[in-house]
Amino acid sequence: MSARQETQTNGKARNNSALALGLALFVLALLILWVWVPLDTDSGLIEKVRRRWVIGDALAPSVAAVVLGLGGAFLALVALMGRAEPLDLSVSNVVFALAYLVLLVAAFHVMRWVGPGLVALSDQAQSYRSLRDTVPWKYLGFVSGGFLLVLASIVAVERRLSARAVLVALLAPLAIALIYDLPFDDLLLPPNGDL
Amino acid sequence: MGFWDHLWLGVAAVFTASPAFELLGLPVSTTVIMIASGFGVGIVVGATPGLAGPMAMAIALPILISVFGVSADALLPVLGFLIGIMKGATIGGAVPAILFNTPGTPDALLTTFDGYPMAKKGQARKALKAAHFASASGDTFSDLVLFTSAPFLAIMVERFLDLPEKTGLIILSLSFIAAVVGNSAAKGLISAGLGLLAAYIGKGEDFYPRLSLGQDALADGFPVVTAVLGVLILGEVFKGIEDLVRSGPQSPTRSQAVSKADSRFGWKEVVLCWPYIRTSALIGTAIGALPGIGSTLAATLGYASGRRSHARKYPDQPKFGTGRIEGVAATEAANSAVSGANLIPVLSLGIPGNAAAVFLILAMDSIGGFNPGPSVFKLQGGVVGEGINPELVVVFGIFTAMMVANALNWSLGGLFMRSVGVMAHIPKHLLLPVILLLTLTAIYVQLTSMAGVYMAIGFGLLGYFMRRVGVSVLPFVIAFILGRNLEETARQAFAATGGDVWFLFHSPIAFAFVLASVVVVTLALWRPGARKKPN
Repeated sequence: MSARQETQTNGKARNNSALALGLALFVLALLILWVWVPLDTDSGLIEKVRRRWVIGDALAPSVAAVVLGLGGAFLALVALMGRAEPLDLSVSNVVFALAYLVLLVAAFHVMRWVGPGLVALSDQAQSYRSLRDTVPWKYLGFVSGGFLLVLASIVAVERRLSARAVLVALLAPLAIALIYDLPFDDLLLPPNGDL
Repeated sequence: MGFWDHLWLGVAAVFTASPAFELLGLPVSTTVIMIASGFGVGIVVGATPGLAGPMAMAIALPILISVFGVSADALLPVLGFLIGIMKGATIGGAVPAILFNTPGTPDALLTTFDGYPMAKKGQARKALKAAHFASASGDTFSDLVLFTSAPFLAIMVERFLDLPEKTGLIILSLSFIAAVVGNSAAKGLISAGLGLLAAYIGKGEDFYPRLSLGQDALADGFPVVTAVLGVLILGEVFKGIEDLVRSGPQSPTRSQAVSKADSRFGWKEVVLCWPYIRTSALIGTAIGALPGIGSTLAATLGYASGRRSHARKYPDQPKFGTGRIEGVAATEAANSAVSGANLIPVLSLGIPGNAAAVFLILAMDSIGGFNPGPSVFKLQGGVVGEGINPELVVVFGIFTAMMVANALNWSLGGLFMRSVGVMAHIPKHLLLPVILLLTLTAIYVQLTSMAGVYMAIGFGLLGYFMRRVGVSVLPFVIAFILGRNLEETARQAFAATGGDVWFLFHSPIAFAFVLASVVVVTLALWRPGARKKPN
């Protein structure tokens, strides 16, 4: 393939992706405007309340949908004119986002369950709720969840498990816990406010 | 109480309120200590590639609120610390740019063009001194413009703009930000539309919380901190981690040896750089006063203007980009001059112009007692009256805090700046996961709810995808913050005009604002992709 043909193919691909994004957002805006706003809002665009006209709850979200729709339409138009900016998004980006979301959810589940789990396994007479502001219970969930999140992120970049990664993953949540917890009596570390 | 009384009370609030300790018999106030601490943190953050002033402001805010609470006394120490970070980060960004060819902040990119070649020639200290001098000059000039122009702008707004005009002004600000931020006006509109939509979920005037899908968690809408920190900070961290996962850990940057052989920055150099600093300070201030246009564009324009002027004046000398001290000065004066002027729309109109201003507004909103906008400049009771406008006292307190930060910048900033080069050695792949955990913890301690953390992660993913498809996140954040204000003002204007649906078109000024909004967006759409990406 010649350089010129390759440039044309790349240009076409980036315009197609911009066109798809523009049209998708335009359709989303129409759905918000014609489906979500009417079905999920109590009042209309403007309403008569006690013989006075007032702006209803539907107007502002409708304006937002119009702005979004205009943006999508203009993006599609620009793509049709062949002047779209490249979109730096691929399937691998979506896979990364999903994988990282799984890691975040896993880390916060570890945070949520480690403390209560250890209380249940130990011979404690009290519940986790009554222990959640005492040492070491208040740190267990946060430090273990934080350790998992930081360690997995570093390992993903380094592609190996190193002693430095383990050390950073251990010290960082510990330091953050101490920064927030030691000076302030009224702050609760995650997840202790929910338990 | 008159102008001078308010001014004096503002100055006194910074220097005498709640003294922390005594130094040589003189009380040192908590606010002054917070400004100095924020300034130091800002320089360190600015000198660390991968960190930025807004990130530090986001992480610091919940800690500050925990320390100082949400009483009126908390405003100046908290704002002082945040202002210190904002100013410190601006000069800190030049350090790795000069020593390692790695800009600490995006707006220091152009500092590498001449700063790093100077460092290679053994003139690193000279370049750092020039960057500091230019930065402090630009910043001080910009602050003086803020002090003189913000009150007049606010008085004009209060005198000439009624509710329909104020609605028109918010529409114009949003349109302007959507049109000029990023590299495409269409994408700016998408970003602003999404921000408005997120702002309007939940709450509303009806008993049923609109667009809440029947979920209790959405009934009160998204907390500001989840949307702002999610899109602005978490989105950036997700993208940064993915980039590192794909590229692998970056090898530590090597600095050029800091030779003391040619480190002199005396009158000769000041005279050489001054014309470039002057022009760049004007450019940076003008850019900074416009909402949404970042310091990167100011630095680009300042550098380009300096390069043209230098090539015209000295056609026989080596050009910018080859290690000219004037190039460093032109860039640093321009990007630093943005920070003070950025507060003009914040204080006089209540409209945040950049990410740092967003966090100042967030702090004001969290603490309460200060609603930025034209009313803060009112002299309650008139010049000879006896009433005090506490908001005007806070404004003068903020101005004083900025001058204290400038004094620190001029006296100690250069010294401190030259000692933080080591921060560029911290590997980004170790730093970003820690920032992520720190930000999520900051969100949790503010909201004490895992639901808030999950909302922030959701916004973080939105911010990540927006960055991936080239949609700037700043219009989203500003639209989210201004969305409720826009609706409230429009509701009041509609009611005040007796339910006139054309209220925006009957007043000439409001109509001019709406027309200008259409023109700004149309002009920006006319040349898609032709503009350089500012931030």
